[in-house]
Amino acid sequence: MLKSLFQFAIIVALFFLIWFGFSKVNWYKIFRIEKVTKSTEEKLGNLYWDIISKSEEEVKTLAILKPIDSLVSKLCASNDIDEKKLKIHIVNKDVINAFALPNNHLVIYTGLISSCENEGELLGVLGHEISHIQKNHIMKKLVKETGLALLISITTQGGDGGAVQETLRMLTSSAYDRKLETEADMTSVDYLINAKVNPEHFANFLYRLSSGEENIPKQLYWISTHPESKVRAEEIVHYIKKKKFETKQILGSDSWNNLKIKIKDL
Amino acid sequence: MSLIKPFSYLPSEHETEKASNSYLMSLIAVVAGMPLPIINLFATLFFFIGNRKSTYFVRWHCTQALVSQLTLLFINSAAFWWTISIMFTEETITTKYIAYMLTVIIFNITEFVVTIYTAIKTRKGIHVEWWFYGTFTHLICKR
Repeated sequence: MLKSLFQFAIIVALFFLIWFGFSKVNWYKIFRIEKVTKSTEEKLGNLYWDIISKSEEEVKTLAILKPIDSLVSKLCASNDIDEKKLKIHIVNKDVINAFALPNNHLVIYTGLISSCENEGELLGVLGHEISHIQKNHIMKKLVKETGLALLISITTQGGDGGAVQETLRMLTSSAYDRKLETEADMTSVDYLINAKVNPEHFANFLYRLSSGEENIPKQLYWISTHPESKVRAEEIVHYIKKKKFETKQILGSDSWNNLKIKIKDL
Repeated sequence: MSLIKPFSYLPSEHETEKASNSYLMSLIAVVAGMPLPIINLFATLFFFIGNRKSTYFVRWHCTQALVSQLTLLFINSAAFWWTISIMFTEETITTKYIAYMLTVIIFNITEFVVTIYTAIKTRKGIHVEWWFYGTFTHLICKR
């Protein structure tokens, strides 16, 4: 019996030893998975942004870009996020939406900024999208739903065909898995706390838009594509109950109001 | 992995054929090209049940063929469900997953080679005992 147990233990140990040994090898590099994924991500991000920039008007007004940049800078600096890698685009469209694209593109619609009552609400949404970028949710979603082979073929075809439109539509107007959405929400809350922004504003934003749609005359893309917003708002409130945080305004009321006026004037 | 040892008696032609077939049963899923790891176990289990009242030599080898499937069943099942979770959930391919699959492949190939070797030797009436499985079979298969 003892001999048998000893031999079994050796087989188990051998299995784990081989597994452990193999896991020390960088298979991504050997199979060139990382390289292919990275180059596909870059091409896809640029392709998608080209399509959007041709059909939408990108805001170039410094008075709008600067305050948004200040907000994002503060969020990034407080959370060790490399701000330089983010490619932020503000699009003049009366739609409440923001979304992340491959290769760190972050698209913000002016409709979202004007629907936010304060910088905390806007930062909550931006933090949510930035956490999708940080946690590589975008490529995970694309690979999962369309497959890497199709994505590579999209980039080699140069954006022709319906597949590119279909995958872009998926990124701009459909939510991620519930688990990924919750992860992005909670990460955004952590980002806000680290940046000394009150995370309650983010919960308020979700709750306000999900419960008072009739008062908001714009298309609620971000909310309609992120269902169960009330539940998410409640989860955020529950999450921050246990947290202690201090708050400090980044822009100040005047700058924030000025930003909203500039957007209205576009 | 396997050792040729003398058996307590010289098996007849009829016994060696049956004993050899018990190993071939465990390869049935590979022959059928089915990815489900449970198929192998069922095939050897049914053969074992069918021969449980047979001679000691046949029972002994049926038992060894059956218990050798058990460990593979666990590691193959884990590989199967890990792959399913990558395909249908937010789980992604990681270095750990690739390493696990390679380890599983090595264990399966080893088992496959040793199974064929044992089937051939057993057919010739030569008694082959596997590392651990042979010792374990001696514990549970009595004369």
